[in-house]
Amino acid sequence: MDLGISALNYVSSIKNGEFTVEEFTSKSLERISQVDEKLHAFLRVNDLAIKNAREIDTKIKSNQNVGKCYGMPISVKDNMCIEGSKTTCASKVLENFIAPYTSTVISKLNSEDAIIIGKTNMDEFAMGLSTEYSAYGPSRNPWNIDYVPGGSSGGSGVSVSANECIASLGSDTGGSIRNPASFCSVVGLKPTYGLVSRYGLVSYANSIEQIGPMTKTVEDSAFLLNIISGIDSNDNTTVDNKNQDYLNNIDAGISGKKIGIVTEMTNSEGLSTDVLNATNDAVKTFEKLGANCEQVSLQMIPYTVAAYYTITSTEAGSNLARYDNIRYGYEFDSSGFEFNSYISQARSKLGPEVIRRMILGGFVPSAGHAGKYFLKALKVKSKLIAEINHVFEKFDFLISPTVPIQPFKFGEKIQDPVSFMMIDFNTVTANLTGIPAISVPYKITNGLPIGIQIMANRLEEHSLLQTAYALEKTVDLPEVPV
Amino acid sequence: MVTEEEISNVAKLMKIDLEDHTAHIKRVQKMLEYFDILDNANVESEEITVQETDLDKLRDDKHNPYDKNLLKFLKSYQGKYVKAPKLN
Amino acid sequence: MTKIGLEIHCQLTKLESKLFCPCKADYREFEPNTNICPVCMGIPGSLPLLNKKAVEKATLIAMALDCKTPNKIAFFRKNYFYPDLPKNFQITQLNAYGNTSIGWEGKISVEDKEIKIRRIQLEEDPGRLIYEGATEKTKLTLVDYNRAGTPLVEIVTEPDFETPHQVREFLNILSDLLENLNVSDPGLEGAMRADANVSIEGGSKVEIKNIGSFHDLEKAVHFEITRQQSLAERKIEIIQETRHWDDGRKITVSARTKEEEAEYRYHLEADIPWVRINDNTKNQLRAQMPESISSKKERYVSKYGITSQVAGILSSDRYFSELFEKANNETNAKDIANMITTDIMGLLDTREKREMSKLEGDHISDLVEYIKSNKITRASAKLALDEVIKNGKQLSEIIEDLDLGHVSDEATLSDIITEVLDEEVKAVEDAKQNPDIVNFLVGKVMQKTHGKADPELTLTLLKKNLGL
Repeated sequence: MDLGISALNYVSSIKNGEFTVEEFTSKSLERISQVDEKLHAFLRVNDLAIKNAREIDTKIKSNQNVGKCYGMPISVKDNMCIEGSKTTCASKVLENFIAPYTSTVISKLNSEDAIIIGKTNMDEFAMGLSTEYSAYGPSRNPWNIDYVPGGSSGGSGVSVSANECIASLGSDTGGSIRNPASFCSVVGLKPTYGLVSRYGLVSYANSIEQIGPMTKTVEDSAFLLNIISGIDSNDNTTVDNKNQDYLNNIDAGISGKKIGIVTEMTNSEGLSTDVLNATNDAVKTFEKLGANCEQVSLQMIPYTVAAYYTITSTEAGSNLARYDNIRYGYEFDSSGFEFNSYISQARSKLGPEVIRRMILGGFVPSAGHAGKYFLKALKVKSKLIAEINHVFEKFDFLISPTVPIQPFKFGEKIQDPVSFMMIDFNTVTANLTGIPAISVPYKITNGLPIGIQIMANRLEEHSLLQTAYALEKTVDLPEVPV
Repeated sequence: MVTEEEISNVAKLMKIDLEDHTAHIKRVQKMLEYFDILDNANVESEEITVQETDLDKLRDDKHNPYDKNLLKFLKSYQGKYVKAPKLN
Repeated sequence: MTKIGLEIHCQLTKLESKLFCPCKADYREFEPNTNICPVCMGIPGSLPLLNKKAVEKATLIAMALDCKTPNKIAFFRKNYFYPDLPKNFQITQLNAYGNTSIGWEGKISVEDKEIKIRRIQLEEDPGRLIYEGATEKTKLTLVDYNRAGTPLVEIVTEPDFETPHQVREFLNILSDLLENLNVSDPGLEGAMRADANVSIEGGSKVEIKNIGSFHDLEKAVHFEITRQQSLAERKIEIIQETRHWDDGRKITVSARTKEEEAEYRYHLEADIPWVRINDNTKNQLRAQMPESISSKKERYVSKYGITSQVAGILSSDRYFSELFEKANNETNAKDIANMITTDIMGLLDTREKREMSKLEGDHISDLVEYIKSNKITRASAKLALDEVIKNGKQLSEIIEDLDLGHVSDEATLSDIITEVLDEEVKAVEDAKQNPDIVNFLVGKVMQKTHGKADPELTLTLLKKNLGL
């Protein structure tokens, strides 16, 4: 039994009776217990996984209707709520938080008979890009455990890459799906804002974040997107995708398509030579596949990282205000305390990066400073949207390296806040503009992965996945060493 | 340049007790300093664009009681009330 | 010159559900913390779902107050920490990026003075704090979140009022208007709350908060003007501050605690996209808008000849004017209006009584017709009304059940008259000299018939008997 098979192959194997759901699930759990002590992809594993697997096997045997997932083990980032179980956002302030309801994406997976195998590690409240800010310790890159797996959905990336499960759901506020996808050599898709319901996703920066799939293949991302996308009456920001089938004609090819190579993302200061070389190589591949590639420049891109951190800090300052430890939270008796001093004490249990974002989030939108920071950031965002709209009149896709650098060692980058922020340089544009973007594994250099990012216009996931599929078919990467 | 005092006031506003400001101040200062780049973006005249929806897409006005006892799920309550620290 | 401005918070009590979730808008009937759900409790991952009808009803208010209304409405977060606020921010509106609140720049006439409305916004009510024991000594705060998320409309006026009396008049007109629009029940406890700001010539603006009822608002404003005037007379500076209305002592007291840092970090609520309200929708809403109180009054007077006073009483009350419209069959409008204002309003003087009442429009029009055609006396009509309100039966049935019909059969009446004439020998003699005494004898016949004798027939028969 190959734990590294794709979701689509898993489904056909189950249908062909090559193994049972229970067999595959218990193998996956075995794998987790073997490697996760080292990798720390999971914060918690689902105790009921085997029981669920047996139930699905029974359905299969008795020829009942079985959901599209046929019991495939899927991991979920620990910022999506599941009724009756813990959702911690990798924070100490939510270490005892048990959600009273289930998020829409997980309800949809459940109704398609997926098995939620466990909740994955992340940077606290999704603020970070390496999992070094998890309150429960970082995850490790399966390609080299001395290196970070990327973040904030680092646990999800690791779990898929290390074959601890078939696929995972991450969330992406500024690259949090694509960055670990690139670092762990898996496919990661951030959908159009509003394509996937955020109901049950613990908010960090709610105006720009999305849930998306992290998978072994592009087809698997299309498969999962088919399940999790669509309008949701519990989320006013969702849009109608008319039940589009993203797997349909995924192999259509990209002949004649116009691809823009984003100049600012391919000549930035922090871009590593290896990553640049891989990107240039990918451009040649696209051209061989029949696409026309040319440079395109977007004036606002140099300001996107500052705009992104300004907007996300402001929204985080508001979204995280509810963690006052009064209605839910951790054990900390309030008797004798005055309201303000109690919640200030309780909130000091937030991790260092979250505290800094809270301070930024209190500062940049405040009456005296909003004009200089927050309002300008919103205007950069608006102008960037106008630029993107204009660019997509001419181009079908935009490409760039997903991350300007390869995975780095623990502690290596975290010291300098500005260069740390700049690691998000290529990914934040898709969030600020709401467009879909995917990271496709492209190369392993010096034993560490490099991903290529493809972006498309709003709700163009279908053609985006076709392009990603075409690129994916040209690469042949080694097995993960773990 | 944002001062240590300003940062400490904002921390207070955001209800976070900082035992040691110095651990954060340099980092926050550096980030804010970097945000100065926004001054060069030349976007003053931009209109702010947002997501829009139609009135008829909104929720209908129906009462649908929540089917669980949410109070029991909450962390600290006294009788029928949620317990909060005293004010002032 | 004295300047008074108001901020009125009005709950949209006629809605079924809260502003952002399907919990009940009217929280009053619930045990503490049983009208709550993940959305109004701000449980992580929950999202606000805007109530369509709340937007519509709030827009009706804006239109009725002659406000400009936007093509797109937006919501903002007002961030501050307080135990009654589950998310530690309130979802409200702000005209920060253009005018996107429910309405702005409206006006309303109060005693021939125009009061300008600065802004109307739709927002959520917080929960309620219950202090254990005395406020000073309490060791903790108890919170009931049933009210959290109740739809609230805030109406902000310009400081156009000059006297407490104008304030009172405005509040009366506003209550009637809101009731007439069927958006709110101003009579419900806590449904209408207000803050005021007051300044006298040369003084700073003082805010008065925490005023529980409209009745107290007038008092609070009056107190505050007097307080400020007496300071001015003694040449003491009036400082800009927030004062609380002390309900027990009926005075305003300085809020003393240092002014809450006004740093709300307002920003857009991205979970609610901006809602487009196009001209078509606005026209539809306008068409739904009930007739205004003043045009209703005008119509009653000019079309039906109802007196201005009766028309005024009737038109300003939504329940009774609806009853009038239902009862009115165009022939007896004036009598129907009089019956409603003189008899029925007294019988149905509370909300509970009105809710229980089985009285329909037809009952009233029938009753007026019966009185006119002498089938029932006015005295019996009151008894019949009482009965109809209780059981809603047909009028004819009730008259039969209670035997309220006129005694108009000559033989029966003659017998009773003979009895009376026998008993009242002296009066009979007097009546022959003084015809006015006949009315006394009519009264006696009425007594014996419990008010049911046909008065005209009785008079005719009596006169005949007495040879007058």
